[in-house]
Amino acid sequence: MKLKGSYLAAAAATAVVVAFPAFLGAYPLAVARSIMTYMALAISWDMLLRSGQISFGIAGLFGLGSYASALAVLRGGMDPFTSILFASAFAAVMSMLLGLAILRLRAMYFSITTLALMEIFKIVIHNLHDFSGGPEGVVLPEPIFGGSAPALFWLCMAGLFMTIGVSWYFEKSKMHLALTAIRNDETSARSSGVDIFKYLLIAFVITSTLQGMMGAIQVQSYGFTTPDTAFDANFTLLPLAMALLGGIHSTIGPMAGAVLLGVASEWLKLKIPYGHLIVYGFIIILVILFMPQGLVGLARKTIRNGRTGVRHE
Amino acid sequence: MSKLSTSGLTKAFSGLVAVNAVSFAMEEGEILGIIGPNGAGKTTFIHLVSGILMPTSGSVTFKGQDITYAPAHKRSRLGIARTYQLIHPLENLKVIENVMIGAVFSRNRSLKEARRESMEICAELELDRLDRDTTQLSILEIKKMEIARALANEPEVLFLDEVMAGLNSDETKQMIAMIQRIARERRLAVGVVEHVMGVIRELTQRVIVLEAGELIAEGPYETVSKNPRVIEAYLGGAA
Repeated sequence: MKLKGSYLAAAAATAVVVAFPAFLGAYPLAVARSIMTYMALAISWDMLLRSGQISFGIAGLFGLGSYASALAVLRGGMDPFTSILFASAFAAVMSMLLGLAILRLRAMYFSITTLALMEIFKIVIHNLHDFSGGPEGVVLPEPIFGGSAPALFWLCMAGLFMTIGVSWYFEKSKMHLALTAIRNDETSARSSGVDIFKYLLIAFVITSTLQGMMGAIQVQSYGFTTPDTAFDANFTLLPLAMALLGGIHSTIGPMAGAVLLGVASEWLKLKIPYGHLIVYGFIIILVILFMPQGLVGLARKTIRNGRTGVRHE
Repeated sequence: MSKLSTSGLTKAFSGLVAVNAVSFAMEEGEILGIIGPNGAGKTTFIHLVSGILMPTSGSVTFKGQDITYAPAHKRSRLGIARTYQLIHPLENLKVIENVMIGAVFSRNRSLKEARRESMEICAELELDRLDRDTTQLSILEIKKMEIARALANEPEVLFLDEVMAGLNSDETKQMIAMIQRIARERRLAVGVVEHVMGVIRELTQRVIVLEAGELIAEGPYETVSKNPRVIEAYLGGAA
């Protein structure tokens, strides 16, 4: 019964989101796109986190996808939609090569390396002036689908739904067992036949592909980008804050966090244009200190306590 | 042919030789005790045979196949399973899922098949309420869960590293009977590391004794326990 209820709720929510363009104007649709992009990044970050690996390289893969897609159109004459597929494949291949090297690292060594890689991508794009357009960035002939607001919304939504679908599959399949076992205890995992490197590589490549795809969708929707936009540290920081606030190691947590912080960030941007990032920093600190399982964890605990009538704290 | 054997197996940690040229063999259906004073290299030895550590020299052979440098997850698939001296529950997985991973990853079972098989194994070990979190388990239940996880690998060789530690005498008796039944019914070769000699006497048909990384004696417990070198190893040399 409970399962049926949650499927119904998901179907209803999907229908509402699909119908957004029918009752929202161009500006709210653009805000919704931005929130959906961050949501997809937050979910993809969490998917790798389920293995215990903390990536700070989201912006790197996002930017890489943006540039692969933009340059495929500009230099390769590819049509915009194909270029998104191309950029996703490019992110997949790059992350596979990188993963082979860096997935031997653990904990903060892995995190710092992903952060450094992001900077390296950005510097390379900055300096390949003739090919990449350098610091001034690139301008596409026109946004995908002629810049139609509903079409752009649905494109971004498709990217998000794909991410949610993959994340849901991760939760329901043996990926869940593999990644959780790796996170909890690598020694036990190995003794039970888990090929740790293989599963880390699968998770890293899939999440990187999704991040590259969202970058490509973003650049094709705006029709231009610069290294500082495409590799903006916000694309790492915001998804991280969203996932932490909503609740890590789940699909629903990052989604909830993205809606809350996404709406809040639009408001904060207007109120404190140059200082709003400080607020995210505070949110991350407060959540880690007082609510390590995030809002979803808090809700689960409340429900469980309500059911058993026992207070655990 | 022996199920599992080693020849001249050696592990040195930058100068300290933890396991020194150990050769042994285990047969089907046999319960072998691995004993020795603290720091004798028993756990290191199991790490080497199960692939958690790689040896400095020597070889490990499983059913005639050289597996000296095979990674742990491959050995698990071949049929070598183990538990750990320190408990290793996967605390973000349910009890049933803790057991299932052995079947899913070592035997390539679907989640559904793995769940069914794991429930059977848990029933056999009298472990119930399988949708609990591992934090709700008693120490005996955690030990059972870890044995169940090892059995879900469908092993031919099983190592139990101090599985009795932390159990009271009733629980120990129960565990001894359980291990004997498992070994008999599944025709397993079982290697048991244990400090309580009463357990070794009751449980094993044969023991090997390690001291400072070397194999110093081998044979039935009754014989080995009278061996002067073994007595000296345990009680210390006469000053």
